[in-house]
Amino acid sequence: MTDTGNSEHPPSGLFFAGSDDEETDVVMDEHEMAASSSRASSPRSSLFLADSDEDDIAFDDLPLTPPVSKKRLVPQQDDSDNDVEIQHLHPPMTRQTSNIKAIHSGEGAPLLLDATIEPTVPPNKKRRLSATHPPSAAFPPTYLGEIMVPNAWSNVSGKGYVKPNDPIQILREEQAQNKPGPSKALGKKKGDNKKQMSLTAMLKVQPAKPLKKKKNDNIVRILNNRGFEFGRLPIEVSWWISKLLDLGIVEFRGVMTDCPDKLSTGASLFVTLHAYILSSAFKPPTINSYSEEPPNYMFNEGIEILDEQTLRERKESLLKLFDVIGLKPQAGANIGGRQAEEKFHEEGLRHLATRKSKKVTEIVGDGEEIEVDDAEDLTENDIDTIYKRAQHNDRTMGVMEPADTFTLTLRGYQKQALLWMYSLESGKTDVRESASMHPLWSQYVFPEKPSLHGEPIDLTADEIPFYMNSYSGEMSLEFPKAERPCRGGILADGNIFINPDELILADYQYSVGMGKTIMLSALIQTSSPYPSDLEAKSSKAPPKPRQLKLGKDLRTNVRRKAIQPPSATLIVAPTSLLSQWSEEIQRSSKLGTVDVLVWHGQNRLDLDAAIDEKDEGEKSIKVVITSYGVLASEHAKWEKSVSTKSAIFEIEWLRVVLDEAHSCKSRTSKTAKAVYALRARRRWAVTGTPIVNKLEDLYSLLKFLNFKPWSDFAFFRSFITLPFLAHDPKAIEIVQVILESVLLRREKNMLDIDGNKIVELPSKEVAIEELEFSPLERKIYDSIYISAKRNFENLNAKGLVSKNYTHILAMLMRLRRAVLHPSLVLTPDDERILSSKNDGVVDISDVLRQFAIDNAQDGYKNKFAEDVLANLADAGVSECPICLDAMEVPMIIPGCMHQCCKDCILAHLSSCEDRGEQPRCPTCSCGPIKQRDLLEVVRRKNGPHVLSSSQELQPNITLRRNDFHSSTKLEALVRDLRQLRDQDPYFRAVVFSQFTGFLDLIQVVLEREYFEHYRFDGSMDIKKKNTAVTEFRSPSTKPKVLIVSLKAGGVGLNLTMANYVFMMDCWWNAATENQAIDRVHRIGQEKTVYVKHFIIAHTVETRILQIQKRKTAIVKEAFRGSGTQGAVTDPESIENLKIMFGDD
Amino acid sequence: MSLPKRIIKETERLVADPAPGIAASPHDDNLRYFDVTIEGPEGSPFERGIFKLELFLPEEYPMAPPKVRFLTKIYHPNIDKLGRICLDILKDKWSPALQIRTVLLSIQALLSAPNPDDPLATDVAKHYKENEKDAQRVSQEWTQKYANLD
Repeated sequence: MTDTGNSEHPPSGLFFAGSDDEETDVVMDEHEMAASSSRASSPRSSLFLADSDEDDIAFDDLPLTPPVSKKRLVPQQDDSDNDVEIQHLHPPMTRQTSNIKAIHSGEGAPLLLDATIEPTVPPNKKRRLSATHPPSAAFPPTYLGEIMVPNAWSNVSGKGYVKPNDPIQILREEQAQNKPGPSKALGKKKGDNKKQMSLTAMLKVQPAKPLKKKKNDNIVRILNNRGFEFGRLPIEVSWWISKLLDLGIVEFRGVMTDCPDKLSTGASLFVTLHAYILSSAFKPPTINSYSEEPPNYMFNEGIEILDEQTLRERKESLLKLFDVIGLKPQAGANIGGRQAEEKFHEEGLRHLATRKSKKVTEIVGDGEEIEVDDAEDLTENDIDTIYKRAQHNDRTMGVMEPADTFTLTLRGYQKQALLWMYSLESGKTDVRESASMHPLWSQYVFPEKPSLHGEPIDLTADEIPFYMNSYSGEMSLEFPKAERPCRGGILADGNIFINPDELILADYQYSVGMGKTIMLSALIQTSSPYPSDLEAKSSKAPPKPRQLKLGKDLRTNVRRKAIQPPSATLIVAPTSLLSQWSEEIQRSSKLGTVDVLVWHGQNRLDLDAAIDEKDEGEKSIKVVITSYGVLASEHAKWEKSVSTKSAIFEIEWLRVVLDEAHSCKSRTSKTAKAVYALRARRRWAVTGTPIVNKLEDLYSLLKFLNFKPWSDFAFFRSFITLPFLAHDPKAIEIVQVILESVLLRREKNMLDIDGNKIVELPSKEVAIEELEFSPLERKIYDSIYISAKRNFENLNAKGLVSKNYTHILAMLMRLRRAVLHPSLVLTPDDERILSSKNDGVVDISDVLRQFAIDNAQDGYKNKFAEDVLANLADAGVSECPICLDAMEVPMIIPGCMHQCCKDCILAHLSSCEDRGEQPRCPTCSCGPIKQRDLLEVVRRKNGPHVLSSSQELQPNITLRRNDFHSSTKLEALVRDLRQLRDQDPYFRAVVFSQFTGFLDLIQVVLEREYFEHYRFDGSMDIKKKNTAVTEFRSPSTKPKVLIVSLKAGGVGLNLTMANYVFMMDCWWNAATENQAIDRVHRIGQEKTVYVKHFIIAHTVETRILQIQKRKTAIVKEAFRGSGTQGAVTDPESIENLKIMFGDD
Repeated sequence: MSLPKRIIKETERLVADPAPGIAASPHDDNLRYFDVTIEGPEGSPFERGIFKLELFLPEEYPMAPPKVRFLTKIYHPNIDKLGRICLDILKDKWSPALQIRTVLLSIQALLSAPNPDDPLATDVAKHYKENEKDAQRVSQEWTQKYANLD
């Protein structure tokens, strides 16, 4: 072929020169002209390019021109069949992206079908350039759609340029080429040689062309099939068509639909353009993908570099094109209930608009405070919507059995989780059935090409899809799978949102355990290092580029000298859960198969040694557990000085698990930074709330997971946060797709594949017992209540309720304490209130003092003890002189040693007091006697068949001074516990109260009743808390009671060993109470859970229940403490207050 | 309102094991209301008399004393003409350890040992103080007259 070209060179050149003259004669026979120039110019172009590789291609193009060229081009037509083959040979040509498109048939035989393409004479430069388009995909220019342009305009005058139904060429022209010869003159000046010259010049400068990529104009020229420019496209289409042409990704083939016979400058031309997408469009755009952007991207965010501009223009133009030709995506980023989403978004965004941005301090990690802007908060509905997608295939997911070292039985959904986690770790394909499309991509289908000349439509043809990233403008023919570059994910099981109807605080949410710890333990034992992990990956760089620290890096290498494949798992958890993790892992594994180290506290071991120690030989799996606090402080030390070594950041872990991973939700917190610095092959974030209240919460987790490209904050922000703030529903959908590939989240009430609840818990029986005050308690309570009510009514009458809101709440608080035990309200403050105006107050005050626990008189030596003990041992059960019944709890009156039932003697004493008499012994009238001097006889009931040696040593009758004033609720608790002890000598019960003061009293009562008891409240340090729970859990032949502060029950606390729950007081919303109950009623609970709720009749408590039932929100501020400046608040809260102080 | 266990027990015992010279039986329609008869103690001016009393156990019983009243007219310094009795255990010396039986025994004892220093019927007391024998004679007459069921 080259030979041919060479041999023909001189004549064709001459011919061409001559033809130029001919062209000036516009009335010349066009067809012949076209044919001749076609014949002439093509070989010539080959000649000119003989020294380049492209001539073959250039030549190949020829046969593609329609049959008119039959005379000479027959041999080459064969070549056209081989296009594909030849195209492969020239991949390097991709770099030369043409700025100019010609209407020429491209590299595919199918295009020959387009009979509308007349034998064209594409100017050589154009043809050649088009030939440089990347042919590698063997992808023919493919029809995309049709554009009608009714208002193109002519820039020439005269006849014969074009007539209706003529094919036309749509081209850009290089400025450089036009500069020397004014292009406008091109068609006007007849006999001007400049055209040829310019053409020549053009060809000569060609190698430089790729450099002149940017053009500042957007002129799009319309040429007739002889290559004469006779018109232009109007600006409203040319601005984007020019970009597409410049980029060389779309070509336009045109037909003159209507034009005047004789053109005049400015005459209107009606043209129809057919857009054909070229294979080059499916090449990655010239600039790098986001993940490769320099890390300092954030600092010049505002500057749009040239490449970005190009990309942006590409994207805009493509989208505009799709828009104009009516090509709509069929799936992907823009699809899927868009309307609904928009609606939902409108709402969400209206929210956003009305929300005021304020700085809110949040606590992350171990007490680290951060300030956050709450403007991006999400509503619960938003969050729910986001999760939905990640959940919809979960029911049908397969299951996996844990390794045989795992000693517990997993539930079905836990096995599913294991399979899911296992496959994520091993990098296997998605166990979820559907493969998601990458969130940024949309799927399109090539439209059917209109049949212009009656060819049969191929109905059997498959729809061929293609894909476009509507954010970057990238296009692809391959299905863009959502990537999962990280090994690991987010396990977000077990966060359930209560039915909003049951909610008092609208945004309250709570999580209950679904055995996340157990699932991870199974994973740790089941998913050992894979061969792929063992391979030469160990030299992998740390996942996070840090500032170069030579010393440290060297040291790291030295320390980890023998390229040991990582095998240990690091678990980071809130301090309070460290021991729970440790215990659960040990409990769920065969002895000796898992080696657990809790790395916490002052004397932390040398981690390296601990990990390396058993690397040889022993096959136990190593697990290190530490807290966020430790991690953050280690990280701070490590960052600060090169000399500090911190093994935890230098070891490459097989797996890092973050429990309650929302602890590091703020990416700027020290905790989060420390977490990011960990090196690990596999990463898991375990949290009930991957999104606490804004989308960026998720970012921190993705960053930890190293989930590219989302782990780049700029990327996340530009594709998720900002679109979300800009009301773009895509943001939510992107997040959904991200989560679909990385998040597993089931809820307790979800159903499995058989329609059963995935979690079957034993039933829960809740009883509310309404108790009556003793008369004395009633008196005390009523006096406080009446004064509070008066106070409230005064304020209400003056309209000052909202101003004194906190004050009123304080009064309410006192009432709620008075319900529990009168001594809880005996404070100097109270006395001041009591001593005000109303009658009878002084009396009450006296009574209150009498009620106070008197611990002052210690050391009472009971000289009667021995006699009494002897008596009691002999007498067995004796009769109470007052009730004439067997004495259940005998009390001894010191001095005469007469006995009565506790209840009877106390009733006697109080009736004496009522009458203003000195109480005396009912039997012998000795006395006067004092209540606190009474001695209670405590008989221990041994378990029927258990007599341990220690119990035998204890006297089974003891005496105790009656120096403690009980209360109705305490008595009720003690009564129930005693009954329980009779029925079930090993019972475990949990007692909740929100007042630590009351917890103190409960402790005293339990102490007096000889119940083994433990305490768990917020003021205790981690060690004490752990001890309490561990001891409560440890098996024993004695009953045990754990008293827990309602608020400190906290995250993750697992109390399933108990199945009796006592709620001593009521909280404003039932959700908090339920949350507490769910510490016991959760996975692992095997027995029915009995819940007893003590309420005192005719007090605020009954009214609190009323408010709970009203299902309305009593203001949050109220119970967050007195933080508000008294400026309240919604009418609802005041309404609620009115209930509190209303008349029955 | 259910009857406290204690009252039931006391009633049972009163019926099963009555104190000598004392009989008490509750009304069928009100188990807190007792018809009581006390025999006049030997050697007292009330000997051979059969005295009728009514006894009522208030709601607070046994924290509060029972209410007891003579239905039979009696000439006694500590019992007025309405039959009200002045006895410390029925007032401030009441103890819940006391029972119906003990109360009635105390009343019987009171018949044996009138206490004119702490009178209820002042004229009778005066009579007893000034002329005990004549007073005892009147008591005997009244016993004959009102408490003699023969």
